[in-house]
Amino acid sequence: MTAATRPPALTATIHPTSPRFGGSGVLQQISVLSGRSLRVLREPAMVLPGVLEPILMLTVFSQVFKSVSQTAAFPAGVSYIDYLLPAFLVTSSISAGLKSGVALTTEMNNGIISRFKAMPIHTGSVLVGRSIADTALNVVNLLVMLVAAALIFGYGPAGGVLGSLSAALVSVVLGWSLGWLFMALSAWLRRPESLQPIGGMLNMVLLFASNAFVPADGLPGWLRVVAEVNPMSYAITAARDLALGHPDLGTILATLASCLVLVLITAPLAIRSFRRAT
Amino acid sequence: MDTVMIEVSDVTKSFGATRALDGVSLAVSEGTVLGLLGHNGAGKTTIVGILSTLSLPTSGQARVAGLDVTRNAEEVRRRIGLTGQYAAVDETLSGHANLVLIARLLGATRAQAAARAEELLELFSLTEAARRKVKDYSGGMRRRLDLAASLVGQPEVIFLDEPTTGLDPSARRGLWDVVKRLVQEGTTVLLTTQYLDEADFLADSITVLSAGRVIASGTADELKSRVGHRTVSVTLHTADDRPRAVRALEAAGLAPAHEPDSLVLTMPVQKSTDLAGVVRVADEANVEIAELAFSEPSLDDVYMALNHSAGS
Repeated sequence: MTAATRPPALTATIHPTSPRFGGSGVLQQISVLSGRSLRVLREPAMVLPGVLEPILMLTVFSQVFKSVSQTAAFPAGVSYIDYLLPAFLVTSSISAGLKSGVALTTEMNNGIISRFKAMPIHTGSVLVGRSIADTALNVVNLLVMLVAAALIFGYGPAGGVLGSLSAALVSVVLGWSLGWLFMALSAWLRRPESLQPIGGMLNMVLLFASNAFVPADGLPGWLRVVAEVNPMSYAITAARDLALGHPDLGTILATLASCLVLVLITAPLAIRSFRRAT
Repeated sequence: MDTVMIEVSDVTKSFGATRALDGVSLAVSEGTVLGLLGHNGAGKTTIVGILSTLSLPTSGQARVAGLDVTRNAEEVRRRIGLTGQYAAVDETLSGHANLVLIARLLGATRAQAAARAEELLELFSLTEAARRKVKDYSGGMRRRLDLAASLVGQPEVIFLDEPTTGLDPSARRGLWDVVKRLVQEGTTVLLTTQYLDEADFLADSITVLSAGRVIASGTADELKSRVGHRTVSVTLHTADDRPRAVRALEAAGLAPAHEPDSLVLTMPVQKSTDLAGVVRVADEANVEIAELAFSEPSLDDVYMALNHSAGS
């Protein structure tokens, strides 16, 4: 290929006489940076796995754990898919949060983050841009999941469309706040290979020791205690109650408030350690 | 004319118990290239990191364009371009989109950003590949794009951290030519490299770094002559000529050496023009030469010689 072999024929000057760019505001930085990460939406090949994975999981889980719906602890008159799907909205959002952190460590190691840091832009813009983009991608994912579940598995809980959308919203808020937690962790750990197992493990424990797949009352004693104090159980309960049409304002507010507290703590930490890294 | 654009005075940098930089000082005048030469771990990247505001010095002062990198980091960032060891671009975007992204972050409007991107792609012969994803670029193309990305904001000072490590010879040459052009236009460059020939070709002056300390500085020629490891090797046609050749060369003040059964005589010389002297001596002594070679000292020679003298 000729481009790679011959030195460029420089006909013009590298530094033209036109004035230098005058710098950008934080809002422009955030919109440019989140726009960069959202470009993946234009590529089906990059979006598809994120959409297909939960659908496949849903297929498997709805069959494997179906018998749970016949147990005494299971709410009467609720189909297992209606019970399961809100939990999936939550778990997908947790994965989305983890993805923010992993993507950040990857870029810290391939050098582009160093480039951004050596530019006259606000450090926070890089993280806020990523947070916005990943949150938006999560919204798209959850909507696709809801539609697919309704069409394929006959998902149709008592809370109606509004209930399911509210459940998705609670999940998105949770994913957004965990995104900041994982970005703070990644600014501290610095390597995707360190973050991935920690995040994966956390995800796994929080997920199975919760009421995601079975009612907490049906778990053995010690595990029930874990499931009841597990923050994930609260988010899942909030989302599930919304979808099933009997929302409990207390649980919802507690979930949203703890998400907000998490962001208020981890976002400044993330930005600070991100600036300092290297 | 002689404005100092990069100034490092007595900078140290420690990572825990490790001292990556130990009292480094250097200065680079406007429109010149300083080659920072050293092996892996010598502290080259650490200096670049401090000068480009990515990390703070543990002690000492560093200034770029007269601005302190610790106190005026934001202002320094407006004036610098950084090209690291890895092509720091977004692989999922096209070359064009990468340059537009940088320009937009620097405050360009969409139209200005697109114009600047096209201008730079043209300059770096990437116009054809402009809309292709960077992950499909060759190594040389990535590095060129990376350098182009550093130039979007027309920086006064450019840091090139091992810009050609891992590139094939022609891609290296291409990048060198661009750097030469930049300097002609008045840009100040700090280049780190492991290759003496690269520093030789590009740098006005060279600073040699070893284990976080400056062990020598000067022009390429000064360093090489200080090391004095330029050698001429003469390959003889027959072993019969060897005693005669050795006698003649010794008489001319040279010190030829050879392995017991070898036809190759090797001797240190001062300058490349001494080659002619060797040929003349051989000719006068009626010695037939099969092959003649002149070799510059390698970075290893420079290192060994300088480290040796620094140690004693």
